[in-house]
Amino acid sequence: MSAVFDDGLSLFGVRRMMEGVVPPVLCTASADRVPNVSYLSLCEYVDPLHIALSYQFFNRSRENVLATRRAALTLDDPYTGAGVVLQLEYQRTETAGPVFERLRAKLMGVASHVGMDTVFHLRGADIYRVLEMRRVPGRKEFPAAAPRVDLAANSRLLSERMAHCDDLSDLLDTLLGGLSELLRIDHAMVWLADASQQALTLLASRGYEVGGAGAEMSVGEGLVGTAVREGVPVRVGHMMKMATYARAVRDSVGESGLTAMLTNEIPLPGLKEPRSQLAVPLRARGRVLGALFVESLHDQYFGYDDEDALMLLGGQFAVAMSLMQPPEQEPPGQVAARPAAPVDAGPPLRLKRFGRDNSVFLDDVYLIRGVAGAILWKLVSEFLRSGRREFTNRELRLAPELRLPDVQDNLEVRLLLLQRRLAEQNACIQLQKAGRGRMRLNVQGTVIMENES
Amino acid sequence: MALTDDMIAMLSAGVAHQVGACTNAGRPVVCRGLAAQHEAGRLLVILSSESGFEVLDAIRQNGNIALNITLPANYRSMSFVGNDAIVRGSGAAWRPLVTERHEAFRLQLNRFGFPPEYTDAWYHARDEDLVAIRFTPMVARNQTPGPGTGNAITLKPIEFEK
Repeated sequence: MSAVFDDGLSLFGVRRMMEGVVPPVLCTASADRVPNVSYLSLCEYVDPLHIALSYQFFNRSRENVLATRRAALTLDDPYTGAGVVLQLEYQRTETAGPVFERLRAKLMGVASHVGMDTVFHLRGADIYRVLEMRRVPGRKEFPAAAPRVDLAANSRLLSERMAHCDDLSDLLDTLLGGLSELLRIDHAMVWLADASQQALTLLASRGYEVGGAGAEMSVGEGLVGTAVREGVPVRVGHMMKMATYARAVRDSVGESGLTAMLTNEIPLPGLKEPRSQLAVPLRARGRVLGALFVESLHDQYFGYDDEDALMLLGGQFAVAMSLMQPPEQEPPGQVAARPAAPVDAGPPLRLKRFGRDNSVFLDDVYLIRGVAGAILWKLVSEFLRSGRREFTNRELRLAPELRLPDVQDNLEVRLLLLQRRLAEQNACIQLQKAGRGRMRLNVQGTVIMENES
Repeated sequence: MALTDDMIAMLSAGVAHQVGACTNAGRPVVCRGLAAQHEAGRLLVILSSESGFEVLDAIRQNGNIALNITLPANYRSMSFVGNDAIVRGSGAAWRPLVTERHEAFRLQLNRFGFPPEYTDAWYHARDEDLVAIRFTPMVARNQTPGPGTGNAITLKPIEFEK
């Protein structure tokens, strides 16, 4: 079946009419042809032949659809006054999966926008096949306002910049800086998924008062968690009063479903009153490695086109991140053979590790956990044992006590996370690059290590 | 049955109109209406024959109609269903009513940031395309978003002159 309808229309081409700025109108009829007209909360693009409509209440429309499987739908362009009419055939109702989750996230945004957040509940995503689509004739359409930026051209520019990066830190800064400079997205975070623990770790952020590197949350019901779990972009376009998708304020974490780890005391960055949010999965090699999360102070700031752009850029970032294993410059033995260096003068530091999750505290301040915590513990232990400050990535990758999950759980990423966390904390222990595939540990003070199981 | 005073007041408050019908072949059809008015127990609906050609055809086939009115300010929404709709009368005579309803609707949408050009696009119909539909509302339903959506709303009996 062709994906091009009357007037040269395609579902892809009318996606922005599904943003919910002007609610879609659904007309159904009973088996004896009595019509019913009602507004819908949401319509979602599924593929070139299918759309999904929100199913919230068992009402006359649903009764009719189940009886006849037919419906008509109108969509209005929020920018030009144009409209389209669709003839639909009901296929099925989905109560889980990517389409359902995308619709549910959007519904929460719409519900809070209209003050219905305690009433709106998504029972399902009704999947319809589009049989016909035509333009509403007789409209006096007007030109749409200029887009925020030329998304395609500027995304290409950013993609080219990222392609020149040969270092993960540079890649990360290029992505976040480019989002702001080229796509006018001023608030962004990169989250990493830890598949073994079902947790998300904040690698870096831009545009917030706090950086938050190393902050964690569980892969739960939030925007980021849903994007990671389902592997699809999830977007809301209105101010959210409901806590379900507000992931910024720690006080509401317990209520939100974005349950923060109890050991995590790192403040989460985030806008206090976001109006639009979008999370896209970072996918590479058949896995979801994390998510890119962006937000704005403006309503409906992100559209389908932003999803497209960030999916491409996020995919490029994920592939590059997973491939960035720098060549080993020096066999481990050569570095290990260097003479021990004296410990720098300074006040004594108490480095404490809890073995169950490798969470590491410096003078009772939480630093990091997981693989990054284990790396820090190993580096400092080795430093105290031998005085050695320089280490190679290779020896860390081969270290059995670190138990790196697999090659794709990139060591470089964990090192970068650790490096940024220590820098943000202005800790007396710092980690710096010392050439390709090598790092240097700087310790200001005497370290006392405490290991707890 | 006739509309209550509250319903009649809502008709002129700046509502959006949606008109639905269904062909004898079971094809549901819908278009945007331009104006509605209460007339002695009946409802008058004006739409554009250009944008509403499918709806007009369906109504001519079986007289079934559903009119939804929704007030953007508070999302209050209701629909009226009839089975005796007839398409009769067209032309410039309906322009004053359409203009009045358009003005009220424009004010409603302005508060949501929609420029006047937006409602102008929807209300752009030539005089000769303005078509009147009249029907007796047999059922009224609440369509305000929420659990009560679809529930019947009481209409009042038509009072005939003695």
